[in-house]
This record gives sequence, C-alpha cells and structure tokens, in this order.
Amino acid sequence: MPSRRRTLLKVIILGDSGVGKTSLMNQYVNKKFSNQYKATIGADFLTKEVQFEDRLFTLQIWDTAGQERFQSLGVAFYRGADCCVLVYDVNSAKSFEDLNNWREEFLIQASPSDPENFPFVVIGNKIDVDGGSSRVVSEKKARAWCASKGNIPYYETSAKVGTNVEDAFLCITTNAMKSGEEEEMYLPDTIDVGTSNPQRSTGCEC
Amino acid sequence: MDEEYEVIVLGTGLKECILSGLLSVDGLKVLHMDRNDYYGGESTSLNLNQLWKKFRGEEKAPAHLGSSRDYNVDMMPKFMMANGKLVRVLIHTDVTKYLSFKAVDGSYVFVQGKVQKVPATPMEALKSPLMGIFEKRRAGKFFSYVQEYDEKDPKTHDGMDLRRVTTKDLIAKFGLKEDTIDFIGHAVALHCNDNHLHQPAYDTVMRMKLYAESLARFQGGSPYIYPLYGLGELPQAFARLSAVYGGTYMLNKPECKVEFDEEGKVSGVTSEGETAKCKKVVCDPSYLTNKVRKIGRVARAIAIMSHPIPNTNDSQSVQVILPQKQLGRKSDMYVFCCSYSHNVAPKGKFIAFVSTDAETDNPQTELQPGIDLLGPVDELFFDIYDRYEPVNEPTLDNCFISTSYDATTHFDTTVVDVLNMYKLITGKELDLSVDLNAASAAEEE
Repeated sequence: MPSRRRTLLKVIILGDSGVGKTSLMNQYVNKKFSNQYKATIGADFLTKEVQFEDRLFTLQIWDTAGQERFQSLGVAFYRGADCCVLVYDVNSAKSFEDLNNWREEFLIQASPSDPENFPFVVIGNKIDVDGGSSRVVSEKKARAWCASKGNIPYYETSAKVGTNVEDAFLCITTNAMKSGEEEEMYLPDTIDVGTSNPQRSTGCEC
Repeated sequence: MDEEYEVIVLGTGLKECILSGLLSVDGLKVLHMDRNDYYGGESTSLNLNQLWKKFRGEEKAPAHLGSSRDYNVDMMPKFMMANGKLVRVLIHTDVTKYLSFKAVDGSYVFVQGKVQKVPATPMEALKSPLMGIFEKRRAGKFFSYVQEYDEKDPKTHDGMDLRRVTTKDLIAKFGLKEDTIDFIGHAVALHCNDNHLHQPAYDTVMRMKLYAESLARFQGGSPYIYPLYGLGELPQAFARLSAVYGGTYMLNKPECKVEFDEEGKVSGVTSEGETAKCKKVVCDPSYLTNKVRKIGRVARAIAIMSHPIPNTNDSQSVQVILPQKQLGRKSDMYVFCCSYSHNVAPKGKFIAFVSTDAETDNPQTELQPGIDLLGPVDELFFDIYDRYEPVNEPTLDNCFISTSYDATTHFDTTVVDVLNMYKLITGKELDLSVDLNAASAAEEE
C-alpha cells in the first residue's frame, strides 16, 4: 500500500480578506464563481484528484475559513502543508504589501524542515476588475518581489472568468508533489474515528 | 469589533470551542475571542519554547531537547474513550475530518506496589496476576452480567433495579474480593474515589460497558484514543468548524471586559477600546472571576523523558491508574505518557504527566508516588491550579460560564458540562445520535 503521505497533498491558501482565495478554489475545483462577496462562510477544504504522469494524487486545498481576517489562524491549519499559495488583489496595494507578513507567518507556524526551499506560489488575482484600469500593483513589481524571495512562481489570474487559474494550480500541484516526496515525515498508523457504528463487543474483556 | 453578535465566546478552551462550533452551526452569529495568541486556553498544547516561558520564565529551551515545534505538551492531559461522548460529538459535527487519531497502547493499574496491565483481551485476562483463578471465575460472571445488562430489558436485570441497588450490594451478589472491587471501580469504571460504592449501581455498570465498548472499538490495547499532535488540536478543530459556519475569530485580545446593562444583563464585551454588543456571553472562569467560586485544586507534574515508563512493556502511549486506596488518599492519581508516536515530541522523547486532586497544602509532595513510577526524568515541571465553577444565574445575566477541567482520566465530564451549557444557552437538547454531515447531505438531495 502506498504511503498516505505520497498520495495526499495539502495546499494552503493565504492572503488578506477579500482577495479572492475562496473564489480561486471554487473556480479550480468546481468551475464556479459567485459575485456576492461575503467574508468567507462555508468554505473549508476542497479536494481534487489530479493525474500527473502515471500517478494519481489527491490535492487537498485548505481555505482559511475567514480566520485570517483578524490574524487568528491556528498552528494546526499550517501543519503538514506541501505548498503555500500567497494571494493578493492586484487592485489593492495593501494586500500586496501584506504578502511579506503572510510568508513569514507561514514559515514561523509551519516550521518546514527546509525553509529556504519550501515551495510557495504567488497569485495576483482580480486582473479582470474594471478591465484592468483599477490596477495598482504592476506585474513587474510583483515579479521582483517573488524573485527576491527565492524565485517564487508567479501567476496573474481572474477567478471570475477563470483566467490562468488552471495554470496556477498546475504549478501548485507540481511543487506540492516535489515537496511531498522529499519530506519524509514520520506518520504513525492512524485509526478512522469517523465510522459511526461501533463494533459491539461479544465477550467478556476483563 | 464595534459590531453586534448573538453570542460572544471568551477563551478558546475545548469547552468554549465546542460550544462556538455548535452555536455557529445552529446559525447564530458568534464572535470568539481569546487573550492569548494561541488556541486552547487552559486546555492548549504548548511547544517547547512556550513551555519554557510558562514554567521557567525563559524565552528559549535548551537546544539539546530538539526543535521547539516538535513538542506539543498538553496542559490538560486526558485520553479519549474510543466510544465516549467526545468521540460522539466529533462524529456529530464531522470535526473528525480535521484530526487524526491513534490508539493508546495500554492501560495499567498500580496494585500492591506494582504496575500491572489492565487486561485488554480474554487471553490477557486469563494470564493476569491481578486475580486468582477462582476470583477470575466470579469476576467473569459479574462482567457477563454487566455485558448483558440492558435497562429496557427486565430479563437482563436478574431481579435487581440498578437505579436503586447500590454498587456495593450489586457486587456483593457475585462474592468478589475487596481487591477486585477496587480494581473494577477504579481501573474499569474509572471512578476517582470510592463514593460510587454507596450510590445506585447504574452509573458504574454503564461506565463498565463504556470501557468494554471502547476497548472493542479499535482493539488497540486500551480503550483510549488520542489525537496526533496532542490535545491542543481539538479546540482548533472545533474553532475551524465555527469559522466555516461564520464564526469570527480574534486571538490576542487583551483585557476582554464583559459589560452589563442597568438590569445586570450582559450587553457586550470591550477590548482595546472597542465594544462588541451581544445578547449572551459564554466563557471560561478566568473571564468572569467575580461570578465563580473555587471548588478545589489540581496538582500536576509534567516530565520530559528519553524512555518509556518502566514496566509498561515499552509502551509509546500509556496510562497508569493509581487507585486512592493503594496510596492512602481520597482521590486516585493518574499517570499518562505519550511520545513521538503521537507526534507530541521528537523521536526518542516521551512526555509524561502525573495528575490528581490536591488534598494538602503540599501538592508537589503528593505527586511523588506517581513521579516515582516514571524512572529517570530529563526535565520536570509542576502545575498547581485552582478549579472553579459558576455561581451566577444565567437566566438573569445571560452569562454562561464553564467549569474548570478536572483531573479525571478522560473527557466525559467535559462533554457533560458542554451539553448542559448548550441546553442552557439554546433551550435545546443536543441529539448526539445524529450525524450532522449525513443529515445535511440528505437535505441537499
């Protein structure tokens, strides 16, 4: 039986409230977009089966569920991530400036064994807004920041119309796979608590 | 903040996080705050640096102990009964999807100066030195009676109304010896004192059934399970449930001050100069100290070791029960140990805890019999704290305060408090036999 570690890949999506993290996930997994913005409600994690070369992976994409709004993500959210996606809104200078904090917060909380080489992917979302005329963060500036942080791959997307979403997640998947294989975490045998029907004992046990 | 909520929850202890999750799923607008910058409150798990800061007043732990993040040291060590109430809450809410569990290797009991395994299989029971051969036969009959007992089926009662017959009288019918009675009461029914002997036998019988069912559930060598990365995962998992259903989270909020109107009803919570309005407040005792009273103290030792607890067959995770009578105390003492096999320490390291209700003015000394069982210890910490229960009338002030965590071996008392609070807050009884996830899936069809 293949190790669970190598077939399940955990991806977390970080960034300020309102940059479109949940929409990106939904566009990628469900091909859906909702214009109604609400601070994230109901988003949890989504899974998608992806085939790469001859192998099948389960990508488990974790949303922040709104807990990032007041900097209240717990260490459990970060644990075991194979790739970290940093999302900002190209129409919001603050969301771009906060990427640095998000990256550093990730490195503190997740404590990856090889922080210099941990795979990040940066996404600049909402390139469709006002046909691009509201844009305040140039592509050049974003690419320079990514280069300065260890050549982080960079994609510009529109979750609304689906621009570049597939490409971004292909890169995310590839990087998560590399990370998942290199890391040799000790993972003890776990039990499935989710089954609702306990096995009835048939004999005296003591 | 500066908003209006139906419920504001203060403190992210396990009880508060379960309630926050349940209330958010019910559709209430919930704000959840904590003065700390981590989840869990008094039921958190600390990394090594946090442990050092709390107990040694230093920012950094010694380098030879390994990476700080590899440690998840529980501040409220308990195991979960595999078929217990907390597991049912986890299944009810589908919070199991955020967690991984592993069986606990063994359960042991301290008898006549020795650590003995509590049998987990009929074979172990036959070989166990805890009872002689004839006593085993008598005990076997008693266990069969308990196994068969069904409150709704009078044929299984053998003419006894367990709601009225005491535990002592029930056991007397089977002719069991004092030592056996002690073993059953403390290592199987998990009572922490002997008061149960004079109470109706129903509770003890149900506890014994829970033990047997939990043992059978995963057949892992003990009736207990325990989450990878420690118990601090549990509050975080329920907090995520709350957030997914719209709960708002604010960690690192100092001085959460509960505000009241002229009638004495809660009206909001102020922190850092901003006030959020609400109809109800749910909190742990530390947020409303004038509405609680002290009900006892818990004494606990926390040890970092480089070996399993001696005489436990090299168990990576284990519990040892020291019954009160064996120690000449009023309450039992509990020793827990977990390790890298549950991802709570680096490879080769073990975390052990000794817990009991404090009975004297010298609680550290009281813990010595448990500490003596540990063998050589790399580092030792003591945590002595008061327990509180609420004395307010929630119908008058709309404040719902949890009771402090006790020194018992598992979580059933914790969940009972949560369920009682839930009923007070919402007026509804929680039906744990319903799997919420399955129910909502059915609704969507």
